[in-house]
Amino acid sequence: MPVSSDVSADANTVTIKISGRFDFAVQNEFRDCYYNSSPGEKTEFLIDMSGANYMDSSALGMLLMMREYLGGNTAKISITNCSPDIKNILTVANFQSLFKMS
Amino acid sequence: MTANDNLAHKVLVADDDIPNRLILQAILENQGFTVLLADDGVQAVEVFCREQPDLVLMDIKMPNMDGYEATQRIKAINADTFVPVIFLTATTDSEGLARCVESGGDDFLTKPYNRVLLRARIDALLRIREVYNTVQQQRNELASHQKRLDRERQLAKRLFTNILETGALDMPFVQSMLSPMSLFSGDILIAAAKPSGGLNVLLGDFTGHGLAAAVGALPVSSVFYGMTAKGYSIAEIVTEINLKLKDILPTDMFLAACLIDINPGSHTLSLWNGGIPKVQIYGEKEQKIIHTIEPRHLPLGIVGEEHFNRRIDVLEMRQGDRIFIHSDGITETANSAGEMFGRERLENIFVDNKDSESLFIDIHTALVNFLAGADQQDDMTLVEIKYDQEQLEKTVQHDSEHGKHAMQSPSAWRLSMELGAELMCHFDPLPLLIKSVCDMQGFRGQRQQLYTVFSELFSNALDHGILNLDSKLKQTADGFAKYYMERESKMENLSEGVITVDITHQPNEDGGLLTISFEDSGEGFDYTTDTLSLESNVGHSGRGIQLLRSLCDDVTFEGRGNIVQATYQWTNK
Repeated sequence: MPVSSDVSADANTVTIKISGRFDFAVQNEFRDCYYNSSPGEKTEFLIDMSGANYMDSSALGMLLMMREYLGGNTAKISITNCSPDIKNILTVANFQSLFKMS
Repeated sequence: MTANDNLAHKVLVADDDIPNRLILQAILENQGFTVLLADDGVQAVEVFCREQPDLVLMDIKMPNMDGYEATQRIKAINADTFVPVIFLTATTDSEGLARCVESGGDDFLTKPYNRVLLRARIDALLRIREVYNTVQQQRNELASHQKRLDRERQLAKRLFTNILETGALDMPFVQSMLSPMSLFSGDILIAAAKPSGGLNVLLGDFTGHGLAAAVGALPVSSVFYGMTAKGYSIAEIVTEINLKLKDILPTDMFLAACLIDINPGSHTLSLWNGGIPKVQIYGEKEQKIIHTIEPRHLPLGIVGEEHFNRRIDVLEMRQGDRIFIHSDGITETANSAGEMFGRERLENIFVDNKDSESLFIDIHTALVNFLAGADQQDDMTLVEIKYDQEQLEKTVQHDSEHGKHAMQSPSAWRLSMELGAELMCHFDPLPLLIKSVCDMQGFRGQRQQLYTVFSELFSNALDHGILNLDSKLKQTADGFAKYYMERESKMENLSEGVITVDITHQPNEDGGLLTISFEDSGEGFDYTTDTLSLESNVGHSGRGIQLLRSLCDDVTFEGRGNIVQATYQWTNK
């Protein structure tokens, strides 16, 4: 599975794990991860990029869709474990101003 | 298939033997087929053309034309649809049967006929015919759709090309490549001369490729060209484009963009970069990269006006310095082995370079060699702009409003305007001011000069009067950068100060005399002793006062040095 999600025991953290290529081909799986999570106000989303080796601009668009769906400026989304290449794509687009990066 | 279905099917029986023909006719009619008869090959072809049967039963040995030839002709006539031909043969020798297939036959039946077998063979072939014809019909529909689509795309492509290429990319000091991966590019590269001289350039990269991405290029180019022509700054232009794109683009689409303003008057490059890879400046003197400007902002169309950051970087330009801007398609393009071109290869071209004139072509050649014919996966755009003072000064947006504003006969008028601190932070009053003045009087052919006069007077009042910046700072390269940093931070915190603009016009014999006065609330300076430093205000700093003196009939300082008055005689001859 290129995209899988996992909800923590207290239901406050949803972790979405991306493997391989993060692009338009996984759009539906990625969207389902947050559509189906019925998030509460406290829910934090963690996108784990440790398995991802590629990301394109359509994936940036997918992240924006997610952010809007989860409340725009009030959305709590972190992106972690990025490879240098992926981190570069995110920082060129200055996405660190929209998402927490660690 | 029932007997009723067969009514629709016409079967042609070609046989010179009368008893044979009658037997087949009886069997087939009994099963509901409509039967057509021919007694030799020539007649068979003739009936076939006239009646368009669904299936042919063909004897081999016939007078005038044998079954082989008749079949070849029938298949040749009807190359587009599938009409099965079944040979009727007495022999079972393999050579004869092979010839049946060679001449285009689809099956064969040996005499005497078995009713059940005959029926089965006919049904099987009619089913194949039906499938074949359906596929054929769909293929034709697709082909005609495709043709229409191609025509529309070609038309749209021409439209886009016309709209995007009215710009100034053909200037001798600009080199560019834009290679779209599909008919329509998701990348956009446009340039326009400014009314006060110099050039604005925009390089953009939409998410995605093709038509959807290209459609977004239309509002971008119309805002860019329109506002550049009216003299708006790139901060204003980028704010407006962002607003427009935020309105029209879906959430997951945006435009990574870099806007630059090259100003030969102040020897500066002003730059706003949201999501385009770092911009690099290659120093002519140093023969290496001397500045790298990282993208500081979010791409356009993501955040609304309240969160939009219009902060501009300002750098000093010297004769021969080269500005390189490219879309990510350049570094991310991959060869057939899946390896990316990468930043390192690009940087190495700058390091290894021996002749700065060949830099652009070297990068281009390296890309072509690297790709070695592999399919391009992204739009690739690269632009090099050489800072050529003389050429840039000649690059002026010419008055396109000749026809629109007929020259008014000179009349007396006065225009006064007061600009508060808050307004100055967020609003560039120059385009509005110029427009008002030109609308009132026309000033055919003199708009550029007036634009320069107003912008020099305004920036003098703002920078030295209100912001109290010392232009001596600009005499060294370090000080130059410091000057613009200080200017930026002071602009952000500006809370007080007023600039009063007063323009009077008096008609006279030749046309009219404009008296333009800019008064700022700043401390001023002792112009009786300090003029010398003003006159020697050359080098890194702008041409300010000399430029004003060369364009105006008179420039005087008044008050405590906080009032500058310029008079400008224009002619309507």
